[in-house]
Amino acid sequence: MSDDNEQLEGAVSRLVKHGMSRREALKAIVISGMGVAVSPLVSRLAWGAEGPGGLPLARPDKPVSLPMNGEAIGDGMKPESGTFTVFNYADYLYKDILDQFGKKYDVDVQLTTFANMDQCITKLANHDVDVDITEITPDRLTQAVAGKLLKPINHSYIPNLEANVWPHLQSPFYDRGSRYTVPYACYTTGIGWRSDKVSEDIAGMDNPWSIFWNAQKYKGYTGIINSPREAIGLAMLYRGNTDLNSEDPKVIDQALEDLQALVKVSNPKVNNQEYQSLPQGTSWLHQAWSGDMLMYKWYLPEGQSGDVMQYWTAGKGKAPIQNDCWAIPATTRKPVLAHLWMNFILDAKNAYSNFINYTGYQPTIKQVDAARLIDNGTIPKHLSTAVIKPEDFGPGSIQYCTLTSKGQKMWQDAYAQFISGV
Amino acid sequence: MYPRWLWKACAFPGVFWLVLLFLVPFYAVVGVAFGTLDPIFQSPIPIWNPVDWNFGGTLHTLAGFLPGNTYWLVFVRTAKYIFFAVSISLLISYPVAYYISRHARSTKVILLVLLVLPFWVSYLMRMLAWVGLLAPDGLINDFLIWTHITPEPINWLGGHAGTVIFALVYGYIPYMILPLVAALDRIDKSLIEASRDLGMTASQTFFRVTLPLSKMGILGGCVIITLPMFGDYYTPRLVSGSPKTTMLGNQIYLYFHGGPQPDVGATMTMVLAIFLAFLMAYYLYSVAKAQKDLQ
Repeated sequence: MSDDNEQLEGAVSRLVKHGMSRREALKAIVISGMGVAVSPLVSRLAWGAEGPGGLPLARPDKPVSLPMNGEAIGDGMKPESGTFTVFNYADYLYKDILDQFGKKYDVDVQLTTFANMDQCITKLANHDVDVDITEITPDRLTQAVAGKLLKPINHSYIPNLEANVWPHLQSPFYDRGSRYTVPYACYTTGIGWRSDKVSEDIAGMDNPWSIFWNAQKYKGYTGIINSPREAIGLAMLYRGNTDLNSEDPKVIDQALEDLQALVKVSNPKVNNQEYQSLPQGTSWLHQAWSGDMLMYKWYLPEGQSGDVMQYWTAGKGKAPIQNDCWAIPATTRKPVLAHLWMNFILDAKNAYSNFINYTGYQPTIKQVDAARLIDNGTIPKHLSTAVIKPEDFGPGSIQYCTLTSKGQKMWQDAYAQFISGV
Repeated sequence: MYPRWLWKACAFPGVFWLVLLFLVPFYAVVGVAFGTLDPIFQSPIPIWNPVDWNFGGTLHTLAGFLPGNTYWLVFVRTAKYIFFAVSISLLISYPVAYYISRHARSTKVILLVLLVLPFWVSYLMRMLAWVGLLAPDGLINDFLIWTHITPEPINWLGGHAGTVIFALVYGYIPYMILPLVAALDRIDKSLIEASRDLGMTASQTFFRVTLPLSKMGILGGCVIITLPMFGDYYTPRLVSGSPKTTMLGNQIYLYFHGGPQPDVGATMTMVLAIFLAFLMAYYLYSVAKAQKDLQ
């Protein structure tokens, strides 16, 4: 940690010792006379060359053990009663699973939602929500741990982690030893298209990502995922660059240039509606998440066949693969139930039901076997490319990971310029 | 006799409302624009004391508004869309308002109720209804194909400026009609009768009496719809989604929505507010001038 960071952390620590929360302390520093001296440091340094709070930035080939914020709960405690609150994206959890959990542990289960991970973190940090378990993505985990928003977990309550979860995710690179998280669902980023509208054999192309730059005839019917990471990542993959966490200005500038060219070629929509727009035919070619492709059946117009739905991704080390997690907020008053929830959602039957009956996002569970799902017709053969195998994770895979503060600004500015259509 | 303070007290709820829901939030935006970030969560920490404000990032953002730069170009695009949307709204609204005010005797109340009716449904829902209607397999394309006007569905939602302008017109037009009806209602009919008695034709009466006297209604309606249109981000998002139709509101939303630069979004909000304040000042000046002319 640099001297400047230490100076700031020292000031924060002193105020925290006097009973302030970390956030209150930072506000006080900025507002007070100290702000004149320290606030430029706050804005200039932010995460410095490291991750939030000076923690190292995790990468698939550079695993990180996160520091322990206090102790996990003891073994063998009884579950609490009352209302158990789950914090998650909307439409990312089967209601039946919530009901079953409530029934099993005799509690009321409530779902509170957030629109995106920024909102999730902000609400947890500001104590705007009183929740017992939260969904979180690995790229925000370091931030949540540095901000002391999460509670370490006790594995004795979660036997399903070792018994059912894919080996690479039992101790993932972003949380060595699974100190704070258990995995939830996984997905790849690729290309979704309708074979009745798109004539090219995308999977057979030398560079399938280039289809977006050659999609003049599909103008108005193409789409890009509305995310700085995914959009810029697409342009990087188009150039054969698989370092999707690059902070090299030249690489980002090139990606921006390519995205600006793409707007002229195919005028893509920038949204996250591919799960709906592809089956409904309002888009024909869309950058897509594998989980959204598997949801197509819920949105297919009546009487139409889903056989036209196609998905391609580049495979391990050539395209992003991501997973979501569950973590326990530090403020929970039901930590035992939170652990039991983690174990419950990692139960093979529950995970399968959640996947097949509702989310379309594949759980990282050994028993949810890809080959079997395709063989028994649960997943149609034409979308077998959307299925993820355990070995797709681990060293050599590529994921969008936490960037430095400077890197985030660079990516956001480039994305803002792309979105501006200028 | 009522005590003098009573009338001043009547203004209190309005002033309180203004301070609580406009001035304080706006100062918070200013505080964010010149503020800093939580070093871990990267959420904005407003700086309330102007002595401590950071100007470095603000100047960088302001540079984006210089002619030829990104925000300038987005601003120009936004202004163009709004100019067309307001002009079309006025062209549609004026005859409607004129009819309601002058000719719709027994049906006036019903027509006014019908005008207010869209307010019963949320703006978002009304826009989503249009998304359904304009979709390639929507009712409008079905009709056009059925009538052989077009052999193929027209992709209205494929990222066209025209669709965004149409949606803005549709979304805001009731706000234009109502002040126009009120302004036309206020015109003293004896002035119009005097004009006709003095030999003016109907069209001369309209252009030389009615139209000038309804100027304040026109300006009021334009101001009422222009202000929210400048901050609109969901209309282009819903009916287009293409970068080519991005408005300034979308850029502000992007920076506020997440990431490490909420100060950029706040600065853009301030720039927009200052621009709109000039528009508002012109409106107030016109009102004052018109009142003076009448005296």
